[in-house]
Amino acid sequence: MARVNLLGICCSWSPFACYNAAGMARMELPSNFDLIRVMCIGRINQALILRAFEYGADGVILLECQDEDCRYGPGPEVGHNNVQRVRKLLHLLGIGQKRLVEKNFAANEREELVAALWEFARDMEAMGTNPAKPSQEREGP
Amino acid sequence: MKLDDPRIKRIIRERSLSFCLECGKCSASCPRMLTGKEYSPRLLAQKLITEPEDEAFIENSVWECLTCGMCEERCPSGVAYSRFILDMRTLLAGTKGLKGYRSHDGALHSWMRLMTSPDLEQNRLDWIGPELRVAGSGPLAFFTGCAPYFDVFFSWIEVDTLSIARDSIRLLNFLDLVPVVLGEERCCGHDLLWTGDRENFETLCRQNYEEFKAAGVREVVVSCPECYQVLSQFMPQVIPGFDLKITLLMELLDREIRKGGLSFQPLPRRVTYQDPCRLGRMSGRYQVPRTLLSLIPELTLAEMENSGRSAVCCGNNGFINCDLYSKRIQVERLKEAKATRAELLVTACPKCMIHLTCAMRDPLRQGSLALPIRDLANVLAGQIEWSGGEAPVGPRPR
Repeated sequence: MARVNLLGICCSWSPFACYNAAGMARMELPSNFDLIRVMCIGRINQALILRAFEYGADGVILLECQDEDCRYGPGPEVGHNNVQRVRKLLHLLGIGQKRLVEKNFAANEREELVAALWEFARDMEAMGTNPAKPSQEREGP
Repeated sequence: MKLDDPRIKRIIRERSLSFCLECGKCSASCPRMLTGKEYSPRLLAQKLITEPEDEAFIENSVWECLTCGMCEERCPSGVAYSRFILDMRTLLAGTKGLKGYRSHDGALHSWMRLMTSPDLEQNRLDWIGPELRVAGSGPLAFFTGCAPYFDVFFSWIEVDTLSIARDSIRLLNFLDLVPVVLGEERCCGHDLLWTGDRENFETLCRQNYEEFKAAGVREVVVSCPECYQVLSQFMPQVIPGFDLKITLLMELLDREIRKGGLSFQPLPRRVTYQDPCRLGRMSGRYQVPRTLLSLIPELTLAEMENSGRSAVCCGNNGFINCDLYSKRIQVERLKEAKATRAELLVTACPKCMIHLTCAMRDPLRQGSLALPIRDLANVLAGQIEWSGGEAPVGPRPR
């Protein structure tokens, strides 16, 4: 199976607490998975998700807090809206909409988070590499 | 960038920068400077020739330009300013990386680069309903451009740029032309080109050309002025032996209407027209859209204070550097449009439509700038008919 590049964009609060706890407990994570930590998933916009694909990601998972847990208020809602809109663009580009995954976690759900990451990795490996990869990559600003 | 970099010397020579008289007409007409931005085309030209060591100034200025071509229009010495900016951006992007603040965080540039993928399998034809006749291969093609993407991305300002593509195809069908619409057509690359990304731009050009060739296309009809500029002026530079005929939809219509048999239903409206920079100053098409509008009975065309050769830019180009000065340009432009007491603002470019619609929707202006805005193709497709009561050859649009 072709090796796929996986990217997680992780809210610094509940999901990162899970991720940290999983690391402390030395739970195994997919080796082809990279994590970007942001203060809130509301920080992410459509452009940043698209850019992950532009830079060669085969799958992107947004790790969010549960709706009622957001430390800032509208974070997960912004996340849902962005996912809805980017999926339409991904569909136009022929990048499977399933390559963009959105999951939310409470702060104590480290097992769930690790399981979700493995499931994400399995799904992406089954889908293979993303067909719409730019032939040359250029560094943005 | 070095003081005596031969590439810069060549750009200065090729774009006639040393003919500059420092008369300052360029700066005095630059929409960016007129709205208060600390950007001066004259000073940039002067610095580049006399003080090239001021790299920070030069680099910033090069990315500030709207490339609307107003300075070029006024320049008495024939300095090719927009092409100079284009060359400098391409050079700077190649040596120092792409700069310029990307509007919308660069989402548009991202999808344009994603389209350079050779294995792309787009789903971009969902908007073609059964009422439109299109073909998979044939001699004539219609170039849609980024409209399907714009309508998704800009859904929050409720622009309908796909209506331009639909109405363009309706008009072609009306003339009994069945255009090819490519399923793997890519962005024309205009925005990548004008933001310095020559490499990806050329890739898009080659891919589009190959797609056209594979579909047996000999003539491409374009509605968007940016696509027209790229396909007719820049694509031949990239493709050796370029042999496609590029036709502006409005010119094709103008030609067909002159043959007789076509007329327009009355539209009792007072309208004003925004000249897109890529159509007017860069391609010299001022008269055709006005002629077509004048053929519609009961339609009154009220020109804005600045129109034709001195038409003011819609505020942004290539989706970089949209800032408060862009907004001021748009607000001033919309005030000019309002001052004509027009009930409808007609433009011929989807980008003008997007940028001006965005400014109209400013909640703080409480709708004072709002004005219905439609593309020329929309207006024409809504009114066209066969004169003399003959049975139409093609289905009547709408």
